[in-house]
Amino acid sequence: MSHQLDEAGFDKIDPLWGPERERAVRAAIAQRAIRRQGTVRTAAAVTATALIAVGGFALWSHRAGTVVADSLVPATSPSQGAPAAEMASETVSVTKLSLDTVLAPLPEHGGRGFVLRAGAARFSVPHDEERPFVVTAGDVTIEDLGTTFTVRFAAVDRLNVAVEEGRVRVHAGETDTEVAAGATLEVPVAPVAGPPVKPQRAARAVAGSWRPLAERGQYEEARTALRKAGPSAVRNDTADLLLAADAARLSGHPAEAVPYLEKVVHGHGHDPRAGLAAFTLGRVLLDELGRPTEAIEAFALARSFGGPLAEDALAREVEAASRAGDVTRSRELALLYRRLYANGRRAKAVSRFGGLD
Amino acid sequence: MSSKPFLRITEPLPDLVPGGPVDFDELFARYGRYVARLAARLLGAGDREVDDVVQDVFWLASRRLPTIADMIQARGWLATVTTRAVARRLRRRRFRRLFHAGPLVHEVPAPGATAEQRALLARIYEVLETLPTDQRLAWSLRYIEGEPLDQVAALCRCSLATAKRRVTAAKNVIDEVFGDE
Repeated sequence: MSHQLDEAGFDKIDPLWGPERERAVRAAIAQRAIRRQGTVRTAAAVTATALIAVGGFALWSHRAGTVVADSLVPATSPSQGAPAAEMASETVSVTKLSLDTVLAPLPEHGGRGFVLRAGAARFSVPHDEERPFVVTAGDVTIEDLGTTFTVRFAAVDRLNVAVEEGRVRVHAGETDTEVAAGATLEVPVAPVAGPPVKPQRAARAVAGSWRPLAERGQYEEARTALRKAGPSAVRNDTADLLLAADAARLSGHPAEAVPYLEKVVHGHGHDPRAGLAAFTLGRVLLDELGRPTEAIEAFALARSFGGPLAEDALAREVEAASRAGDVTRSRELALLYRRLYANGRRAKAVSRFGGLD
Repeated sequence: MSSKPFLRITEPLPDLVPGGPVDFDELFARYGRYVARLAARLLGAGDREVDDVVQDVFWLASRRLPTIADMIQARGWLATVTTRAVARRLRRRRFRRLFHAGPLVHEVPAPGATAEQRALLARIYEVLETLPTDQRLAWSLRYIEGEPLDQVAALCRCSLATAKRRVTAAKNVIDEVFGDE
């Protein structure tokens, strides 16, 4: 063996590397470099676009947060003849700190008074001896002494006041307490009988919040917001009910989708989307909840609406009947499918579930 | 079986001095043929596959130029990259053969060889085709390229013990085949 290999002439192996091949390989490398440059440019453009989009969205989100607050706070100057710089320094800044914050201006305070009904808000206020800035929350009144502070409902009956700069005076019950920078005060709070408190506004704020989340595909968050807001958060119209069903179903809680879908099917039967709702209901019941008997009815209903889903609905009805152990019905339905859709795309599955094989 | 020290991969060229930046044109001009020969011997194949390997190796080199210290080290670096590129190609070739999509025998480019030598080379590469890629490469580096075992291990990116085991396993098969003939 050794002798044989020594004579094999490995050193004679030569790919005949010459200028022609060298040029061809170099050209191919140059080509690859150009392709790579193109790819890098495309990737850079995509990344830049994405960054701009994300930045724009972040800016928009940030502005949205403050604009809502600003719209509540008309910046006012203490005197009509004040110079522009002073007016700017007089600007009151109010930021809602949570989605469920309900904050309303007190008209009699000319933009320097608010009532906090739910949630939390941060106030940054220049002090004005003549026109003190006031926040009321239930029976508690917080008066600024030139400061930045946050008022938060820690619980329904507890109010938390945290001061970042300056001082505030908190009037709770019969006592006045001054809170300095860096300190936090928690006081009991009771709803005020006088001005009409609108708790439903908080609910409305939350109720409204689930919809955009669901529309953006953030189903888990949408479902959480929906649960927090309660059943009244979903309007009794097809679009809203289907969206709520999606939020429940696609966040992994199919059982919660059933009532919404049933409401569409039984309450909005005239709507063109009722067939889709019935079909979806059947799928949820059969595939996700393992309730084939109920699924049969849902698919039958979907079929009765006609349209492009009818064939699929009949096929799934056969499957549901088969899974429910109703052999006679599954067979009858399978024969019906065969008659209606001789070359149907689900013929194979239907034959299998209907026992026609 | 003796190794062939005249084919040492990492032996520095006499006209080169250590240090200094590496220019791609110079690198290609100096080592293009070397990479092509190494690829041809490891692959046991001629034109197209060799060109592809050379292209892969120098494409990578063009992007890694700043990391190559000088023209002397470039040779070893190119040998390592060539070995890896060949390994990838050999694995692909074996995979294709599973589906009968690749030729069993490749034309070995040996223009100065006698008819007997050509026949012997063809037979050796035919046997090598049946070996696992790692064993084939280890054996090829040891007995075709004449690399010492520590260098075989470095080029195959494995331990010395693994390199020895691979070389021995391949050698046993080849000894058996050629012992019978």
